[in-house]
Formats: sequence, structure tokens, C-alpha cells
Amino acid sequence: MSLLSLKDVTKAYGGVPALKGVDLDIASGEIHALMGENGAGKSTLIKILAGVVAPDSAAISLDGTPVHIDSAQHAYRLGLRFIHQEFNVVPALSVAENIFMGRAYPRRAGLFVDWKKLNAAARETLLKLGITHIDPRQKLATLTLGDQMLVRISSAFVSEAGAPARLYVLDEPTAALTSEESERLFTVLRELRLQGASVLYVSHRLDEIMAICDKASVIRDGRSIDTGKIADITHDDLVALMIGRRVEEAYPRQLTPPQDHIAFTATNLTIRGRAPVSFSVRAGEILGLAGIANAGQRELLRTLFGDLVATGGTMALAGHPYRPRSPADAWRAGIAYIPRERRSEGLILSRPIFENTTLPHLKAQSRWGTFLDPRRERRLTAERGQLVRLKSAGPNQRARELSGGNQQKVVFAKALVGDPRLLLLDEPTRGVDVGAKFDIYTVIREMAARGMAVILVSSDLPELLGMADRIAVMRDGAITDFVAAASLSEQALINLTFGRATG
Amino acid sequence: MLTLLRRYGTIIGCAAILIFFWVSLPDTFMTARNWLNISQQLSMLIVVAAGMTIVMVMGDFDLSVGSMASLSGIVVAVLFTLGVPVWAAVSLALLVGLAGGAINGALISFIGILPFVATLATLTMFSGAAFVVSGGKTISGRAIPEDFSQFSRGGIALGDWGGVAVSIPNLTLLALAVVILVWVLLEQTTFGRRLYAIGGNSEAAHLSGVAVRKLKLIAFALTGSTAALAGIMYASRVASANPTQGSSLMLNAIAGVFLGSTLSEHGEPRILYTIVGVLILGVLDNGLTQMSVDSYVRQILVGGIIILAVSASSLTKRLRTR
Repeated sequence: MSLLSLKDVTKAYGGVPALKGVDLDIASGEIHALMGENGAGKSTLIKILAGVVAPDSAAISLDGTPVHIDSAQHAYRLGLRFIHQEFNVVPALSVAENIFMGRAYPRRAGLFVDWKKLNAAARETLLKLGITHIDPRQKLATLTLGDQMLVRISSAFVSEAGAPARLYVLDEPTAALTSEESERLFTVLRELRLQGASVLYVSHRLDEIMAICDKASVIRDGRSIDTGKIADITHDDLVALMIGRRVEEAYPRQLTPPQDHIAFTATNLTIRGRAPVSFSVRAGEILGLAGIANAGQRELLRTLFGDLVATGGTMALAGHPYRPRSPADAWRAGIAYIPRERRSEGLILSRPIFENTTLPHLKAQSRWGTFLDPRRERRLTAERGQLVRLKSAGPNQRARELSGGNQQKVVFAKALVGDPRLLLLDEPTRGVDVGAKFDIYTVIREMAARGMAVILVSSDLPELLGMADRIAVMRDGAITDFVAAASLSEQALINLTFGRATG
Repeated sequence: MLTLLRRYGTIIGCAAILIFFWVSLPDTFMTARNWLNISQQLSMLIVVAAGMTIVMVMGDFDLSVGSMASLSGIVVAVLFTLGVPVWAAVSLALLVGLAGGAINGALISFIGILPFVATLATLTMFSGAAFVVSGGKTISGRAIPEDFSQFSRGGIALGDWGGVAVSIPNLTLLALAVVILVWVLLEQTTFGRRLYAIGGNSEAAHLSGVAVRKLKLIAFALTGSTAALAGIMYASRVASANPTQGSSLMLNAIAGVFLGSTLSEHGEPRILYTIVGVLILGVLDNGLTQMSVDSYVRQILVGGIIILAVSASSLTKRLRTR
């Protein structure tokens, strides 16, 4: 039984086609994966469903009845619920207020908000996701990123009389979640499926899709490529459908082994009163930092980058003492940083690509360190762009107009403009599609082969195991183990991050 | 079509205004003399708007420029009454602007007060200081040196134009010099590039090694200095100073920058567009005055045009993304 069917959806933005004819058919009670590379047209399709973007042409029907979704309110009344990454939340409001945002609050005497009822309803909604550790009265801003995401997700599960939910559309819901949190979400999705609701699931994480989805539809370059049952398809087939070619391996091979000399050393580094940390990285080595969320990896990177100042201990870069007071010091010393949140921390979306790539190195790229030389900047940007396999209309294109994968490549190009000695990577492939992921891994390998030392923080364990030479495991801010990545299984690494004995 | 309307809507409106006045005032409007006159009347506003552009590039704004202009005019005049030579009085008044702007910058970047609140507070402080220093009186007459007031009456002769001697006023030249300086600063130097980066995303700029706080402080200090310069120019032009004479500058400067930013491709403030914005406001004022439209009606019209330009720009932007 088809719940929602879309036929021949097309949409162009200012003459540039985003969707050239997409069909999608979602049955009742199924979890349906929507897959494709960044820029394939997934977001546009979802925005059309949400009534935010008007298609140029489309035949949409719900339960066999043609519908024309013309606003977000209309989509809501039709029973469509959306959870996306750029969901509107207000950090200064409480969890309960955020969950019920845009809905009618329970009232007393038709006038005053009934806070008790509101908080109780919020608690009940959270409970559906098995969440008991979040107090609905807490301000959203006090929660961790993962918890905030859980709140966003749960707001889609508010049941309201009059507009029962038929289809949940989830766009990269697990990007900020730990594996336990994701697992909890999957349980809820399976429960919803039992109740007859459908789910349209968008994710770059193939293993998740293989685990929870019934069917998958792949779109590429704005066209429907294929739809099939997950049970009938392999991981490799899906990747090939998405990028249009076969990929032999998920991770490119090491080009040259790490060199012997030490590039960077930290000795008894104390950060925010936690246990001192000591380690060193050799030139050409990729050191992975593993750990559960908030084990201190991010703080450690930020300290090396000068954004946090260590309260004790010393650092040395290429044998010289290194004491950064600000990110500017770090860039000057030859340390580059790829931040976790590319849109809010990595890029100035409203500015051209070349202004982004040269920003940390502006002085060196200008005449007398003061007067801009845009020609030189553009040339350099084109050069580094080639190095990272950036696909863009040219250095003058605004960063906002690029797909997620290409945006991340701009962040890499920016890091590489100054030829750094040490490259700090915080979740470098988060929210990046398979094709661009492989490009980024290749770039990391090439940089290591040139003698750059790399520190890689990632919550994607296969990525850590596939890319790192050595892995430092962090727990509560301390490094508890150093292990060679080659000899390690995923389960063993998980055990180490939780501090369980390896079996 | 929509893109055209958004980019050139303001220009088309501007052209319409020009043609309207040209037709209605055939003898006086499109003359070199009138335009040089407009440029002189606008020179103070151009200087303040140029300075305002510097902070608005970062997404901030400075409400205190008007009262800073009043204060610097008072400072210069009071120093004259004490017998301080012109060059020293002018330099000191400029320093007052620099310091006042730096205070704004420090409040905003190091203490973290919102620009709206911080500069609203300093607006009243500078204004109060102008009254305290002057004793609430207008300073004029013999206290103002001849050299000082003569400057704004002079200019560079361009020769005859239909039997009338025409010259570029010194104040216009000064404003032009400030515009060129700000243009170089914002469009040609690393400083300007970094300000635009801060305006785009200050966290990403910080992580890219931009000294966000320091640059903010410098930018506000520069804006304060331009406000002080405008106040001094005003004092020279009217050969007197009173504690409220700069007060109309702030709103018009912000309006000019907004109006100008509707011309730029991505809606960011840019100095040359700011000048266009200020010119639109000035021409409107000039033409309507010549047509003897009541000054209060003029205010209503000018406000309406700002709303029209900015809403046309944001409406077309919204339509385009849909």
C-alpha cells in the first residue's frame, strides 16, 4: 500500500536544475532510505515535501489522493513530520518549550500557560525515546550537542489530535549522536513502523541504513537511479549506485610509513584541571584520538590550537617550545585545524571560496603584509583546490553555494594553504558523502606522505581504524592507552574507550 | 528578472528621482553649482557614513556618532576660546573621537555588551559631556578663529560655467579623501578583509586566526574618529558649535549604509554603495527643498523611501530562494 508517492519532481534554482525528474514511493509501515551524494538533490526533495520550496513540476499523492503541499503548516496537517539538522531551536528556552514550539501550549483559563501540564507532556514525549536523563525544565543551552539533537528529534514525536503523524522525515539525525543515543532512536523508529507510520531516512552512514531500513532509493544528479529492498542489496552496490562507479576500498592505503623524527610533543599538558596528558606524533604519522563523547579529545585539540590555554605542561613543535595563546599563534607556528562544525566554525559561508582559504594566511599572501593581492589568492586557491579535488565554479563562488562535501574540501584547502607541519582534524568527514569522503581520506594520506603530522579525532570507529597508524584512547580527559591501529578490531577499540577489559 | 530588480531596483529608483527633479526644476537642479552645493551639504554625512560602514561591515553599528560629532565640535570651539591654536585644537578633538570610539569598541569586544546597548549608553554620555563642556551654550563669534571658519568657505576653482565661477568646496574634497581612505582600508587591505570575515562568521574568523576583539576595537575607534572629524567640519561650516548640532547624522548615516547595501550583490555594506545611498538621501532632500516641500513632509518621504528600498531588496531575495 503506497502511502506517499512522488512522480517526476523537477526544480531549478535560477536556471540551475537541482531535480531533473525524481520518483519516490513510500509504503505504509516502512523505513525508507533516501540516499545520494551531497548535491544530488536530497535536501531539495525534502524541502519540497516540507512545503518550504515550491517544485517546478511534481505529482504528489498521499493515500492515492493528489496533494499540493504549499506551506509548512499544510505539510504538518497532512501528517508529515520533519527532523533536520538545521532545525529551529531556541537555546535560551527550556527543553519543554522547545519540544512544543509552534504548537499550542496547554493553557489554564484559556490564557495562562499551564507549565505543569507542558512539562509533563514534554516528559512523556521524551520517554517515548527512552530518555529519562533530560529534565524538561532545563534550558536547552545547558545540554550537550547530542542531547539537544535528541530534544529536536523528540519534538517530532509529539502526538496531537487532529493531525496524526503519517510519515517522519529524518535528515542526518544521528550526526551528533553517540552510538547509544542512535540505538535508542532506532528502537523508536522500529516501534513507529509497527504502529503503521512510515519513515523517510536520510543518512550518509551506510551501516545504519543497512541495519534499520527496509527499502532504499538512490538519487544522483537530480535523477532517480534505483529503488530496491535493502535485503537484496549489498553495501558496495549502494555505494556504487550513489557515486556512479565502484569503489574498491573504503580507505586509501598508506603511501609511505611515518618518518622517524618527532614532529610534535606534548608533555604533562593539563587542561581544565583534568589529568595531565603526554604524547608525541612523528612526521608523516596519523595519530587517532578515540573516546566516547566528552572524553576530552575536543579540548585537547583546542588546546594544541591555542583556543584553550593549558594550565600546565609544555608543548614542542619540531623541537622548538610552542606556547600558543590564540588560534593566530597556532596558524603562525604551522598548525592547521579542521573544526568539527564546518558551517558554524569552519567557513564564512557568505564570502567567496578564495577569501575563506587565505584567511589564516592573509599576511603572507598580501603585499607588504597589508595590501590584498586577490589574483595571487585566487591562483593559490585554485591550486590547493585541485589538491583537495574541489569541484566549484571557481574561486569567486560563495562557500554557501557549495555542497557539504565541497565545503569541507574548502576547509581542507584553507588548512593546506600555509603548508602546515601539524594538521588537527576534528570529525573531518562528518556529514560528507561517500565520494567526497574518499577524496578527503586521499588528501589526508597525501599530506602524511609529505611529512605532515596528523591528529585525527573521530567518533567513526572504522574511520579511525582505517586511517590512523596509532590510536590514543582517551577517558575522562586522560590518555589511557596507545595502540597500533593495524592490530585492533572495532570491538576491542570500543572496549578500550569504555575502559572494559579486552576479551 | 528578480535578480535584476533586486540588484538594480535602488538604481532605477534613484534614476527616477533624478529625472523627476530634472523635469520639475529645469533651471536649477541639473547644474554644476547645485551639485557642488549638494556635495558640500552632504560632506559631513558622507564622512560619518563612511565610518559607519566600517563597523556595519562586521554586522555591528554605532549609535553614538551623532553625539560624538556634537562633542568634538564643542571641544574644538572650547579649545579656541582658551586660545589653543587651530591645528592643536583640531588634533585634540580628533583624539576625543578616537578615544570615544575605542571606549565603544572595548565595551563591545572585551566586555561583550551588545553594540546597540553600548553605543546607546555612550550616545547619552557623549551628549551629556558636550553640554557639560560647553555649559549648554552655543559657542560662536570672535572665539572661532578666522582661519578655521574660512576653510569651509574655500575650495579649488574649476573655472567659469556659463558665466558663474564654480569651485570644488574644501569640505567636499575632505569627504572625498575620507572615502578614498576608507575604500582602501576596507577593499584593499587585510584589515578590511578580516572585518568582512568577522561580519560573515565571527567564530570561524576567530578560528582562522583573526584577532576579532582587537580588530573590533580598532574599527570602532576609526568610526569614532570619523564622527569627530564630521563634527569639526560642521563647526567650521557654521563657524560655531552647539551641543546638539550633530544629532541628525546618526540615523541618516545608518540609513545611507542600509540603502547602499541593497545595491551590493550579497547585501553586504560596501563603501562606494554607501556613498550612493547617502547621495540618494541628499538629492531627495535638495530637490524637495527646492520644490518648497515642507521639511516634516520631507522626513516622511525620506523614511518611506528607505523602507521601500530595503523591503524591495529583502522581498526579492526571499522570492529567489523559494
